[in-house]
Amino acid sequence: MIELRNQAAIVGIGNVPFGRRGEFADRGHVRLAVEAISAACADAGITPKEVDGYSSYYSSVEPAELMAAFGVDRLRYASQTWGGGGASMCGAFQNAAMAVATDQADYVVVHKVATMESTKRYGQSFGQIGQGVSAIGGPFAFSVPYGLQSPGQMFALAVRRHMHLYGTTTEQMAHVAINARAMAANNPEARFREPLTVEGHHASPMIADPLRLLDFCMESDYGCAVVITSAGRAATLRHRPAYIAAAAVGAPFRYGNALMSFYNQPDEDFASSGHRTVAEDLYKHSGVSLADMDAAMVYDHFTGMVLMALEDFGFCPKGEGGPYAADGNLGLAGPVPVNTHGGNLAEAYTHGMTHVNEAVRQIRGQAINQIDGASNVLVVGGAGPAPTSGMILTGEQ
Amino acid sequence: MSDRLPGLPGPQPDPTTEGYWTSAGDGRLVVQRCDGCGVHRHPPTEVCYACGSLEWSWDPHGGLGTVYSYTWTDRPIVPALASLGVYNVSVVELDDTDGVVRILTQVTDVPREDLVVGLPVEVHFDPAGDGVALPMFRPRSKGERP
Repeated sequence: MIELRNQAAIVGIGNVPFGRRGEFADRGHVRLAVEAISAACADAGITPKEVDGYSSYYSSVEPAELMAAFGVDRLRYASQTWGGGGASMCGAFQNAAMAVATDQADYVVVHKVATMESTKRYGQSFGQIGQGVSAIGGPFAFSVPYGLQSPGQMFALAVRRHMHLYGTTTEQMAHVAINARAMAANNPEARFREPLTVEGHHASPMIADPLRLLDFCMESDYGCAVVITSAGRAATLRHRPAYIAAAAVGAPFRYGNALMSFYNQPDEDFASSGHRTVAEDLYKHSGVSLADMDAAMVYDHFTGMVLMALEDFGFCPKGEGGPYAADGNLGLAGPVPVNTHGGNLAEAYTHGMTHVNEAVRQIRGQAINQIDGASNVLVVGGAGPAPTSGMILTGEQ
Repeated sequence: MSDRLPGLPGPQPDPTTEGYWTSAGDGRLVVQRCDGCGVHRHPPTEVCYACGSLEWSWDPHGGLGTVYSYTWTDRPIVPALASLGVYNVSVVELDDTDGVVRILTQVTDVPREDLVVGLPVEVHFDPAGDGVALPMFRPRSKGERP
């Protein structure tokens, strides 16, 4: 068997300065991707013309547009993954790593951009599904006619079940948001840097009971890109490589579309972020155990889903994510600090790309909330329809 | 469009799901059942997840279940749905099936404080146009079984 472990590395990261919802609507997706890829290549010390592969997830920007825009001499690789929003995001890194490790390409860029209409919340784009038609088919026939039309409602169903099974509380969920604000306090790129209290969290309006406004992440316009190359090439470039120790996509038995339209998975996976099998694969393939982990960047679109992801990855026993967060384990003094940049809840919502950026900065020793000697960092993709995803990066080859 | 839920589309049947929706239109709850191994499944699909058989039939169901999870929607998701007011979407696990069958639905006729996980419910039907209806659930009437 060919092992992928540490055969590819992240050598460049880049993003355009984060915008508020709708701020970049006039710039267009290709422009944002081009700016982000240019920034990531500059960080790596290469030119965008040297990039001969593109990888993305749930993307609107096509490789054809990018290779034409940059005048790439010879495109050699292109792929993307399925899974709504940022669920499969680490799959784009898995594909890129496999491509450069097997000489399908020299440099693969993982890119992702989004712009939203300034007048519409992100959830409203889901809410438009089924509007203006008398009947809706496909999987949505079993959810949209009942008014299930937003990510907040979908994840509220998992959170409610988790509360029922394990006694998880909204106060415990608040600690995920509180941690994000604390981490973002000295991050100049972060949008929400003011401290938050449990009382402040509880004062925010109920949106999708049991989820309050401050259980939801913000919405951002963004463009992000990451350069990946083989371990051999990485050694010749300017930064300490962040080797991809493992990247995986997957989902457990009967997970399916999960909260979008399918509800038959066993209890332990219904009240979960869907990462149980991904976690098993990552630990097995990386050779990195949780005891070796220096930090974790966990996709935080909803506070409750962070608790469940920590359970799926073994930070605490199943069902104890709430007490784990409330006891202060997410902070810089905790065993594995979580979202040291502020994450989706406090910095910006980039469908997971900035979680990768922060993992790379920790390994390079360039993070704002730098963890001394950080080498192994877990990245967790979003809870969402199959496949979900994750990745372990390491500074030691 | 359902009578109860103005602004939302009704279900569009396809060859696999048509029997489910039209039975509901006739006031009957049916669940897809594998002809090979007898396992029930929902939403309808072409193949049995347990044994792989492509053969299946509609099995009448008594319409009793319990609330598995729920969420209350306190704000309209899009302005056109403001007339729905505050509503719940709920997952109901059906009683007496071979294999887990959970249905996304709404629980009607229930005060907010009374909707809890484990609440026993019974099916009723909300006409949704063109001979189809949405299976909905409400707290079971005392001493009665549908």
